[in-house]
Amino acid sequence: MDKLIHLWEVTGINQMTPGQGVMILIGMLLLYLAIKKNFEPLLLVPIGFGGVLANIPGAGLAEAGGILHIFYTVGIESGAFPLIIFMGVGAMTDFGPLLANPKTLFLGAAAQFGIFATLMGAVVLSYLGVFDFSLADAAAIGIIGGADGPTSIYVASKLAPELLGAIAVASYSYMALVPLIQPPIMRALTSESERKIKMVQQRHVSQREKIVFPLLLLILVAFLLPDAAPLLGMFCFGNLMKECAVVDRLSNTTQNSLINTVTIFLGLAVGSKLSADSFLDMATLGILVLGMVAFAIGTASGVIMAKILNKLVKAPINPLIGSAGVSAVPMAARVSNKLGLESDPHNFLLMHAMGPNVAGVIGSAVAAGILINYAGV
Amino acid sequence: MTTSNLMSEGLNLMLVGMGFVFVFLTLLVFATSLMSKIITRYEKDVGTLPEEGIPAPTAVISQAMSSRQHANDDKNLITVLSAAIHKFRSRHK
Repeated sequence: MDKLIHLWEVTGINQMTPGQGVMILIGMLLLYLAIKKNFEPLLLVPIGFGGVLANIPGAGLAEAGGILHIFYTVGIESGAFPLIIFMGVGAMTDFGPLLANPKTLFLGAAAQFGIFATLMGAVVLSYLGVFDFSLADAAAIGIIGGADGPTSIYVASKLAPELLGAIAVASYSYMALVPLIQPPIMRALTSESERKIKMVQQRHVSQREKIVFPLLLLILVAFLLPDAAPLLGMFCFGNLMKECAVVDRLSNTTQNSLINTVTIFLGLAVGSKLSADSFLDMATLGILVLGMVAFAIGTASGVIMAKILNKLVKAPINPLIGSAGVSAVPMAARVSNKLGLESDPHNFLLMHAMGPNVAGVIGSAVAAGILINYAGV
Repeated sequence: MTTSNLMSEGLNLMLVGMGFVFVFLTLLVFATSLMSKIITRYEKDVGTLPEEGIPAPTAVISQAMSSRQHANDDKNLITVLSAAIHKFRSRHK
């Protein structure tokens, strides 16, 4: 009889706390969104499943010694996983459209205003006593506006590890929602005639330029902002491997098998942060709302910058490509293209929007460097 | 950190951060344009790189030559051998 009672005591039903039950349901919801609604499935499937695993009562997968906790310590606490992913992203990025029209870098810069405006928003909310965010927390929440998963996770792991779960979930789910969040803002800020602006055909970019660019970027980072060097250094390395075309084997591994392997463990490790005591909190709700605001402001400032730029430079710039400045490669560029086609079925903006799109990746990595430098200890 | 201090820190970070992002990317715009100009001018004299990467010319040339030589050798060898076989067979009928 004692044995039976003991067996009952170790079952999940007996040990389950209400919080864990809710978190398992949230994990299932993420899985549903990923599988049925196709929301960034590559990340939300591992994150959602990790979230379910982390909340199995009594198993302790996310506690010290548990396998998810080990993934977290090895990969995220050390900063390794986001950086390896960034290397893969670099190896998949084509800087051609950016090099053909370097002015689009300004759009990538403007869209980062979303990061800093949201940071300010989080600080104001703390000031008003609604939430209790420190400056580091506010900075980590703001980076959601960078619309760049690995960058968000990297910054959150450095500045606010306890908010990492919520920040990563917000960041990846909003990236999936880009086609829903951006168009209304873009339509509101542009006129029909502006949306019809045709851009000149991009010039051909030579192989030599593409090889030199990552090195140039690296040197600038090294001189001006060493705090962004881990992110942009890995990014440049990945890109150089791709463009130099003499290490195709390494480049292929980086952009396929390596990034896939790391994504699995990154997702599970993020899932381990979806524990009831840190996730079921008012702060999470605040992060979700602020993240949405960050996206909206980033999109708006990109579009506005594109309108200003269109007035200043000779070659016409369609304001729709401004919204692509919030990285989220290549989703944001596709949205720009789609809206352009709606106004003029012969106006293909995709390649033009890829310029600000990759500029946004550089911009948010630079912003991340500044945040870590300023708000870090 | 007191709350009013937090506000001023936040404002500070916003201005410094946004300013720096713009300064950095403006520098990058100039550096990139300059780099493109120099390379375009250089490539007018030298020619562009092939898209699929830089070939290793010496190795490729020597390989091509040696394979052609091989083909010639083989031809000679086959002629000699078939002549010998022909003679051998005609003698041992």
